[in-house]
Amino acid sequence: MIIVAAIAIAVLLFGIGIYNSLISKKNQVANAFSAIDVMLKKRFDLLPNLVETVKQYMQYEGDTLTKITELRGKALGNNVSESDKLALDSQIGTAVKGLMVSVENYPDLKANQNFLNLQSTWTESEEQIAAARRNYNATVTTYNNAVMMFPGNMFAGMLGYQTVPVLETAAAERENVSAKELFNS
Amino acid sequence: MAQNFNLNPAIESVIAELEIQRKKIASTQIKGWGLIVLGAACFIIGCILSAIIVAILGFAIFIPGAILLYRIGDDTKIYKNRFKQEVVGAALKSVDQSLTFEPHNGISELEFVNSQLFSTTPDRYHTEDLISGKHEKTSFCFAEVHAEYKTETRTKSGRQVHWHDILKGIIFIADFNKNFNGTTVVRPKDFGSSLGAWFSKNVYAFGDKDVVELENDYFNKNFVTHSTDQVEARYILTPAMMEKISALNDKSAYCVSLSFINSSVYIAFPLDSNYFEPPVFKTLLKPNLLDEDMNVLNFMFGIIKELDLNTRIWTKQ
Repeated sequence: MIIVAAIAIAVLLFGIGIYNSLISKKNQVANAFSAIDVMLKKRFDLLPNLVETVKQYMQYEGDTLTKITELRGKALGNNVSESDKLALDSQIGTAVKGLMVSVENYPDLKANQNFLNLQSTWTESEEQIAAARRNYNATVTTYNNAVMMFPGNMFAGMLGYQTVPVLETAAAERENVSAKELFNS
Repeated sequence: MAQNFNLNPAIESVIAELEIQRKKIASTQIKGWGLIVLGAACFIIGCILSAIIVAILGFAIFIPGAILLYRIGDDTKIYKNRFKQEVVGAALKSVDQSLTFEPHNGISELEFVNSQLFSTTPDRYHTEDLISGKHEKTSFCFAEVHAEYKTETRTKSGRQVHWHDILKGIIFIADFNKNFNGTTVVRPKDFGSSLGAWFSKNVYAFGDKDVVELENDYFNKNFVTHSTDQVEARYILTPAMMEKISALNDKSAYCVSLSFINSSVYIAFPLDSNYFEPPVFKTLLKPNLLDEDMNVLNFMFGIIKELDLNTRIWTKQ
């Protein structure tokens, strides 16, 4: 009798553990995305300063600067979905990358301390976003495994939990881009 | 990098002087130990055979042996100190002018504990041979550390204390090239940590909550990573950094431990030998005298390049 009760308690505790684990993993996915959001916001906040600084030196890059400002405006607008925000960030990233390459043609700008600080902060934000995306994907993978594998799939079915897609990496981002190379280009 | 430091005139003259001292110390130690062993043997035989004269003779031989060893003790300390200061110190300068050598200093026990490289707090701690310097933008230091913990077992005759190594080797500390606020620890994978990581991943109620699941399989095979901040851990441990750490680990005799804390990187290298010590029973005049010490130094110096710590493209300068 005692053995049966002990087994029943053990099974119950294990079930509670699995159930709590699923709930926790689901919350972690939402939390991991909000970490990306915070990093994106931080990066978008850098843009006005960057545009203002380079505008004084880069006479021939007006179109790029306008494009960056527009993209930022869209990204910070209301009713922008998570996937749209990431797509806009990718476009901003590409535009700024092009801008950084063009800096080579403006020696005065290259020597500007404010610009150099912004450039470092931008590079830092790139790596922080990359880290946040990797964290999101790791969290989603753990969550998806829990939802799809036994015994978690039983609880997931009852709770109506479904798998979540991981963030795709753009082909350009998949190449192991070195920020150092970017600076030296 | 083998380099014949005896050819350096500054070191050559010191080595010649130290070689005379070494010979004196070696011969005195041989005499002293010889007398002690002989005296002890006579004393024991005298006691066994009840031959009092032999036992007294043994005691009479033992005493001068002990006195000889006691008196040469100070000379040995001076010899070791001069070797470290004047030979090793000068050899370090020939590698990099910024390097300084403090034989009697090391990594403090508090810093060792705070580094969180090991989860066990030492009961006995010894550190020596602190080498510090700056390579371009990166300040660094390293020292030999012997940290131990004790366990006690009850025996018929009372308690017996056993000492176990936490680390016998070198702790390397360098200024890290990125800003971070939390703590990230990378430890060798063992059964306990693997089990903790599995529970953390699969069962919420148990296991380590702070385990970081990274994407590099080879890295995960050797290490378990814990962090107070999952995103920050990945900011530090980029795919490139994980490969660099794995490469560094492959070059080391035993699995290394790393921690990223207080804007610095701490690395523990378990080692078998005690470095930067002068030989007593081997000549100082051999050309490869400092080879092993310099290999260790160059290895430590190379970590900065290996981990690319001088790249300061982020906000930290």
